[in-house]
Amino acid sequence: MRTVLRASLRHHTRRFVAAALAVVIGVAFIVTTSALSSAARNGMVSGIDAPYRNADVVISEVEGHEAGDLLDQAERDGARAAVLGWIRVQVSVNGRHLGDADAADVGAVADEVDLRWQQLEDGRFPEADDEVAVDNLAAKSNDIAVGDVLTIGRGADQHTATVVGTLASPSAMVWSTVYVTEHRFRAWLDQAFVTGVVWAGTGSTAKQLTSLRAAHPDAVVLSVDEHVDQELSRATQGVDMIAIMLLIFVAIALLTSAMVIANTFSILFAQRSRDFALLRCVGATRRQVLRSIRVEAFALGLAASGVGLVVGTGIGHAVVALIRQLAPGARLGVAEPSLPWYVGAFATGVVLTFAAAWFPTRRAVRVSPLAALRPDTGIDARSTAGRLQLTLGVLLVAGGVAALAGAVVATDVVLMVLGGAATSVGVVVLGPTIVPALIRAIAPLTGQLFGPAGRVATGNAVRNPRRTAATTAALLVGVTLTTAVLTGLASTRSTLDDEMNLDHPIDVAITATEGTGLDKAVVTATAALPEVERSAALPGVVAQIAGIGEVRVVAPTEEARSVLRDEGLFATPSNREIHLPYSVLVDDVVPRRVEVDVDGVRRTLRVATGSDWGEAGVVSSATLSALGAEVSTQAVWLRTDLGADADDLEAQIGALAQGADVASALQERAFVDLQIDVLTGAVLGLLGIAIVIALIGIGNTLGLSVLERARENALLRALGLTRGQLRSTLAIEAMLLALVATAIGTVLGVSFAWVGVNAMLADLVEEAPLTVPLGQLVLVTMVSAVAGLLASVLPTRRAARISPAAGLSLP
Amino acid sequence: MNQTSAHTRTTTARVHAENAASARGLTKVYGSGSAEVHALRGIDLDLPAGRYTAIMGPSGSGKSTLMHCLAGLDQPTSGQVIVAGCRLESLDDTALTRFRRDHLGFIFQAFNLLPTLTAGQNILLPLELAGRRIGATERRRMADVVEVLGIADRTGHLPSELSGGQQQRVAIARALVARPQIVFADEPTGNLDSTASAEVLDFLRRSVRELGQTVVMVTHELDAAAYADDVLVLTDGQISAHLTDPNRDQLVDALRRKVA
Repeated sequence: MRTVLRASLRHHTRRFVAAALAVVIGVAFIVTTSALSSAARNGMVSGIDAPYRNADVVISEVEGHEAGDLLDQAERDGARAAVLGWIRVQVSVNGRHLGDADAADVGAVADEVDLRWQQLEDGRFPEADDEVAVDNLAAKSNDIAVGDVLTIGRGADQHTATVVGTLASPSAMVWSTVYVTEHRFRAWLDQAFVTGVVWAGTGSTAKQLTSLRAAHPDAVVLSVDEHVDQELSRATQGVDMIAIMLLIFVAIALLTSAMVIANTFSILFAQRSRDFALLRCVGATRRQVLRSIRVEAFALGLAASGVGLVVGTGIGHAVVALIRQLAPGARLGVAEPSLPWYVGAFATGVVLTFAAAWFPTRRAVRVSPLAALRPDTGIDARSTAGRLQLTLGVLLVAGGVAALAGAVVATDVVLMVLGGAATSVGVVVLGPTIVPALIRAIAPLTGQLFGPAGRVATGNAVRNPRRTAATTAALLVGVTLTTAVLTGLASTRSTLDDEMNLDHPIDVAITATEGTGLDKAVVTATAALPEVERSAALPGVVAQIAGIGEVRVVAPTEEARSVLRDEGLFATPSNREIHLPYSVLVDDVVPRRVEVDVDGVRRTLRVATGSDWGEAGVVSSATLSALGAEVSTQAVWLRTDLGADADDLEAQIGALAQGADVASALQERAFVDLQIDVLTGAVLGLLGIAIVIALIGIGNTLGLSVLERARENALLRALGLTRGQLRSTLAIEAMLLALVATAIGTVLGVSFAWVGVNAMLADLVEEAPLTVPLGQLVLVTMVSAVAGLLASVLPTRRAARISPAAGLSLP
Repeated sequence: MNQTSAHTRTTTARVHAENAASARGLTKVYGSGSAEVHALRGIDLDLPAGRYTAIMGPSGSGKSTLMHCLAGLDQPTSGQVIVAGCRLESLDDTALTRFRRDHLGFIFQAFNLLPTLTAGQNILLPLELAGRRIGATERRRMADVVEVLGIADRTGHLPSELSGGQQQRVAIARALVARPQIVFADEPTGNLDSTASAEVLDFLRRSVRELGQTVVMVTHELDAAAYADDVLVLTDGQISAHLTDPNRDQLVDALRRKVA
């Protein structure tokens, strides 16, 4: 049998290429995941102990004010201490915001020199309240240099500070974009997020631990070593979570690989069944044949997995190097090959290949020795779904749909996943019935469009239902997941948009801060911006409010309310109310009533507070006319095109409205959009790998069918089918397979998304309508069709090369 | 000669003086170097129109290659082929394909029919491939042909539901329905039992006699060749004998001679 095996491996190498490719991609995906997660872990872990280097003890789980108390206590006790933490605050340079979502992290440089964990790169450490240092990576990506002036905070809190240095922040756990002095930071401690207070006192660490624990029973007091260990495991856990998420996509890719491999083997074995029968005729036992072809599968698995390791290592390291080069802010470390991952990836590849070949091999050796003696009637392996398969498929789909319905009613995610899986498996099981039926259903159209080539293609596509179904199954799974994710995210986006409209009804509010009001030029110039869809100037007065100071008070007109994206309760105050923004309050104290004074005319009004309409108080029109005879434009509210670039538009408006306060929800909206875009892109990219494998599968089936139909194609050529027509026959067949898989996948995907939205979002928001991203789905379909065409390129070339005479004289 | 003349003689076909196909200096070489095989070594022949010509020879004599070259299914290494007044070497692949479907009909030993199409669809396939409208004329001609061939009630069946003889008769119907200038048949009876063979061969002969069709048949069976008007015997890529209305003995003789 060994000669047979060796000859077979040599002879059939090309036919195994696609299956091998599927294994290589799957294994490479695992190894790339390992490279990325090792790089992420190294990035997280390196320098994680830097902030604690010269300390003895770390006190964590403390509030901002407790941290302040600890600093005071350190001063009294003669110990050295520093706060690790940051506040989120708006920081801008030249009108551009740093960080994300309109806010950046601002941390502190310790007063104690040996507790300063940042490394100076350029300039010096900040020493005064109006001096800051900037993280060198943030400085690089935002073009900030020593000497630049930053604007920190908003409203009453706003101040400017000069950049005096850039720092390297070795710790990925506690780094900030901007660092101020400890003194400046203490003023913000109440709003700060504190990771811990590092402490270096007198006496042994054990003694310090005991006394600090006694003094702060609610806090967690640990030695530096213990704390660093804890941080390490927390960092690793985060990375592991990401690795696990990636592995889900790896699993999907492997599933499609398994489908492609199983399909390849069953086609190959069908084509070789005469060889097997002949072997049986000349005396090979069934066991010998079985072992021989299993060894073949095993050899394929070994070789492909080996190649996969090499390819994955190359891609993984290249991707890590690329990210480190292009996005230093991602803080990736060096990728390290890890033995367990490599062993796991290799074993997965081998086992997957072997397992996927298991059932086809069993079926293959069931051939009777007599088959070799029968005349060759051509390969016409008609196979249809058996009754058992049909019943199983129907039961699975019915059960799955019931589970999905249950999931919607009970908003149960586990039930949803189970139902989705059962339905998908059911549809795949029913594939041999559904897929050919669909292809037949569109046959008149295909015939009309493509003539005889279309009719031949339809015939070829449906002649072997089991093979057709197996070929489309992988793509079907990929497309189902893709459309489900696309539709789910589109629905999430529109739900979030609604929430955003509720929370931030005004896109941009410009409020006067000086003089008697806004210049008319500001109103007309901003209204004239192409990105501005609607604008409204608000009449108002300059008022003195007791206990607060000068505040612009405006009354929204009907026109102003029409600018809002939502009703905006703040824009409809009663005649006895004034709505004040948080930012004008002094020390965050909300007075119940305030006295509003406009040139001696006084009114006492009830206070309601809020944010997002700028720096003005809002009263009703009646109140405003009672307050002052002379009104002037104090604010402009804008509704803008949400598709426009937020940074750019804000900078333009800022430049036009100099001296006025510009409050904008655009950045936050853009950030939410960006997050969904990134998520969509990432999921699509990762699912894309599974889809690529599925398409290799289509190309593979076509390629193998071409080999098997060589005589038939030759006959067609002899009878007058031109090369071009033969090529289009195969291209149409590929497109039919791809499109039908896409159609079923889209229906399933959108249905799953509907279930998902109702089962998961319905709990969180009142109304979660399904948004079908038609454009994206059309794109998916088009990509599938084009990819199907691409998948047919190599097979068609091979098919068209064969001369009609050569094809007819094939054995 | 006398005992065979009863089923080989015809005078009507003799009227056609012009050639349906001719070849000059035809060679075909497969492979190169030490693996070089000369399938055809300079063949000159003229196939008269309206005749039933058989090309005979043992395996490897080049008879199938000769037919493939004559029918434009394969490119000769050198030499000239003229079919229906057209020089085949001047045509590119697409033009050659068009020429085939407009002027030639084919019957092969096996794999004659597309398994996914019904017998009727198979018969009309060449017309369809040529983009011709299947009108009343075509349908009537098909009805005539299937009637004569005795497969009128089988046109709705798939090839796998037909016997070998029926399949071959469908192939003949397909070759005839477009009224080609020449029908090429490559071992048309190779897979059939003697009864079915006789039916097929008889029908081919009738198509020559009654419809004025030109048929060129490759065969290695003496019985099959005996149905032909002309027999060319091929040995090692060369024509070793040209017999007109031969009887069995003459054929055996001609074949023995070249073997010896």
